[in-house]
Amino acid sequence: MTIDEAIQRCAAGDRAGLRHIYEQEAGRMLGVARRIVAKSALAEDVVQDAFLQIWRGAAQFDPARGQGRGWIYTILRNRALNVLRSESRADPLDEASLAELPSPDESADVLVERLEQSSALKRCLGTLDAMRRKMVVMAFSNGLTHGEIAAHMKLPLGTVKSHIRRALQALKECLS
Amino acid sequence: MTSAPDFDLLAAEYVLGTLEGADLDRAIALEASDPDFRRSVGEWQSRLQPLADAVPPETVPSALWQKIELRLGERAAAAAKPASPSFLQRIFAPEASSPVLSRRAALAFSVAAAAGGFGIARWLGGAEVPTQIAVLTTDAGAPSAIVSVYASGFVELIPLQGIAVPDGRIIEVWTLQSRTQGPVSIGRMDKARRLRLDLRQLQRPETGHLFELTLEPPGGSPTGKPTGPILMKGLVQTGV
Repeated sequence: MTIDEAIQRCAAGDRAGLRHIYEQEAGRMLGVARRIVAKSALAEDVVQDAFLQIWRGAAQFDPARGQGRGWIYTILRNRALNVLRSESRADPLDEASLAELPSPDESADVLVERLEQSSALKRCLGTLDAMRRKMVVMAFSNGLTHGEIAAHMKLPLGTVKSHIRRALQALKECLS
Repeated sequence: MTSAPDFDLLAAEYVLGTLEGADLDRAIALEASDPDFRRSVGEWQSRLQPLADAVPPETVPSALWQKIELRLGERAAAAAKPASPSFLQRIFAPEASSPVLSRRAALAFSVAAAAGGFGIARWLGGAEVPTQIAVLTTDAGAPSAIVSVYASGFVELIPLQGIAVPDGRIIEVWTLQSRTQGPVSIGRMDKARRLRLDLRQLQRPETGHLFELTLEPPGGSPTGKPTGPILMKGLVQTGV
């Protein structure tokens, strides 16, 4: 069963579909969620919520618009970002709470290293300058907003925004 | 109109997760309403997915699946509980725990109400007789609520199933009576429940007027017009 097929089974009300997604993806989903919300207990809640949303929203999944895994991880990351922004960090620019996170710089570099050697995204991220690459990867994997990246890198907000936009444009061109 | 590159960048930043405030609201609204934006979002999801794939899997606590199953069970039970429990429970009580059968029950109920159902609506609504009815359906076509229109200028919204409301969102009820006036907010609620709404300040609802429910930020849509995804909608119909 592919993930796309598993989502279609969920849409038909078949729990075996959801169980398949769980067996294939729950471990990685937990890792992705924990990088964003930091606390393990919160990350488990996020994964639970995501599975409920996958079950409930499966009928809305349209394979013509993208891959099922992209859809699943978007649900997961959106849930994690909501939890992060509403529950665990009242003040997003609080230096103390930022310091408690695993170093985003380091984890961003490690993540790029871990990208599949053959992946086009790895090659294209490699064409960006180091700072822009770090911003994009930190935003994606640690759930940092423009404002948080600006505080972390001690750069003006507008500068961060335009760096990220240019990086995204370059990635799109490189990947097309 | 937004130019194409801006539009695609908004989709990219939406997937990246960096948007906040008004930009985030705009992206959520576009995702709900604009197929081109949804396509851009899907493309960016696929482009950036390798970054999620590069995250090492963690050991999943064995209780996690049980917790998910438990919550799925609760959801099924909640969905089986209709707005008027006495009605469906009396007729479908033995199957109340089965989501499939309860969906069928809700469907049968709403189809009956739509087809000739002033009798049923009268039966549910007490002495006051509705003059018209709208059946609200989801995008997938599932009947999800009934709006009964009364001669007094009030309408009654009766949900047929639970509505999933994400944290930090509420349900807002709208009516569209004319294109020139645009949608008008007529009520808000935190979860699916029966609502009696006063429309005496508006035109009397008539055939072809639209009712719809959307997800909005707490306090209601900041623009005064629907911004969130549409949960369900339906037109006022002429009774037989």
